Amino acid sequence: MVHFPKSFLGAFPLYIGVEIALGITIFNKCSGFYGILGLITGHDLDLMQWLLYVVSIIAVIVYSLALTQVYKPQLLMYSLTVVVFTIDTALTCFFTLWFSGQWFSAKHHEMTDPSSQTHQSGSPESKYARGENLASQSASQTAEFFFTMLVTLLALSWRFYFNFIILAFVQRLFRHPKYMVDLNDVEQDLKNKSQLAKCWYKSECICYKWCKHYLA
Amino acid sequence: MSRLFRKLFLSQRPAGSRLADLETSLDPSLSMRKLRNYQFTIADLCHYGFLGSVLLFVFIINPAGWLAKIALYLVFAALFLIPATSQFFFNALPIFTWLALYFTSSSFSAAHRPPITVQVLPAIETILYGDNLSDILAASLNKPLDFFAWVPYGLFHFGAPFVVAIILFLCGPPTILRGYAFAFGYMNLLGVISQNLFPAAPPWYKILYGLTPANYSMKGSPGGLRRIDEYLGINLYSDGFSNSAVIFGALPSLHSGCATMEALFFSYVFPKLTPLFIFYVCWLWWSTMYLTHHYFVDLMAGSVLSYAIFQYTKYYHLPLPETSVYSRWTYVEIKKFSLWFADPLNADDSDVENIFVPTILENDFEMNSMEDSEPPSIFDNNRSVSRSSATSNTSLEAQDELVTSSRTNKKE
Repeated sequence: MVHFPKSFLGAFPLYIGVEIALGITIFNKCSGFYGILGLITGHDLDLMQWLLYVVSIIAVIVYSLALTQVYKPQLLMYSLTVVVFTIDTALTCFFTLWFSGQWFSAKHHEMTDPSSQTHQSGSPESKYARGENLASQSASQTAEFFFTMLVTLLALSWRFYFNFIILAFVQRLFRHPKYMVDLNDVEQDLKNKSQLAKCWYKSECICYKWCKHYLA
Repeated sequence: MSRLFRKLFLSQRPAGSRLADLETSLDPSLSMRKLRNYQFTIADLCHYGFLGSVLLFVFIINPAGWLAKIALYLVFAALFLIPATSQFFFNALPIFTWLALYFTSSSFSAAHRPPITVQVLPAIETILYGDNLSDILAASLNKPLDFFAWVPYGLFHFGAPFVVAIILFLCGPPTILRGYAFAFGYMNLLGVISQNLFPAAPPWYKILYGLTPANYSMKGSPGGLRRIDEYLGINLYSDGFSNSAVIFGALPSLHSGCATMEALFFSYVFPKLTPLFIFYVCWLWWSTMYLTHHYFVDLMAGSVLSYAIFQYTKYYHLPLPETSVYSRWTYVEIKKFSLWFADPLNADDSDVENIFVPTILENDFEMNSMEDSEPPSIFDNNRSVSRSSATSNTSLEAQDELVTSSRTNKKE
């Protein structure tokens, strides 16, 4: 049995954590739009980048809808949100590993290729030196690596914490009598809706059943 | 002009309401009396203790002459003591603290500054966002895009805070301006502290020097704004950014932080225009990367900092705006966000619906003289009845507490 947090940062109600988690995640997921905007400048995307950016844009839509109803949540919407957020967390871990490999490979190329900007520009120290010990003013390779890893791991840790907060919030919604859902009513309402709306509601219902099974 | 102003802002003003009036007294004894009677909370001590420490640090470190520094601090002390000026200047203390630290930052000795990182930001941008987004968005340049990027980054950014402050003051609920000054000042202050503690090279550095180590004897660069200087035949941005107070202050982007803060406050007061404000933030994000001033991760850091501070301010300081009320003089009461009432998990089906709930009246108005006067209760009661559905999930015990606290406030 997993014990989810009962409050946000040990002091605030869970819905505040959900509001902050969704807001921060929406900001970060906007990268999907800018990644795809890069196509206009003639930049090609590989398969993993396409996948990351498309997932980001879908996530922005789902999280934005959830954020608008954080004070008056609907259980179906939040079931979908928590499932998307959890899958997104798993994908984020995978993408972090994948793109870490990409960066360190690109960095190795930048540092060793004689035609790279790093080698072409020469040392800026020689251009601006004023007789001080300038080497100590720049971070060592070890420090650069340490801070890169530290920030990446901190970002992932927060991501996991936010995921637990949203899971805890949805679990509490399931256990609250006010938010009980009758799926038959929802299906009745779907008859005159568009295909997209039916698809959306079906996704919500599937997520609701999963959440009910694992969280309620 | 004054007729138009009256029609737009004063036509709905409740008779006898002084809620939105400003303090006009020049008597410092009023401020002294208020200070003597003020009950300091732990939050107040943290707030003033923190700002006071930064101001003391600036006072000692700033290379200006001691007499000039003492004179400047005395001028501000006088502005804080005179009630008519204090209502604006004292509430803007976080903003002045930020400006003081920012303009002192250029005088920090290189020996005391932390080492500059060059690789961390591009690395994190690739690892977390899949590519060097700032790099690829600056890959294709042309003149119309240069101007399109310049408008939010080089123009709006510097004027927007004032425009937003004026509009919030006129159209938002009374006391929202002090919340804006608090949030805007703290966001910038924490941003400048972070820029000094974690110096990192912006994208223009990588374009010029690749990943070679940086040092503090280097000049800054205007990045893409150099092209604007060339188009306009001026040296404004080249001079400004070359001698910036925080040359390696890429993290966080305060351009992004300011735009986000402005958009959040405007969305708070004008929720129907939220898409417009989102567009502005996205536009500024793009222009910041296009002009090679920040990595995407810097933009996120600025926006997240703004969002976190705005949320805190909303929960604990901001007055609640009323939908379809666009003049500070139309408000008859000031209500604040209630963490308990807003909690969807606190709602209970057994609560009585549509029951009369007394209004939480805020006694800390813009005017000192309001402290001893009774608010126009005839409007309070009417409005409270009509708004009872908003708090329909209130338990009777909580309402009793509210009645008590409201009465206590009135007695004070």
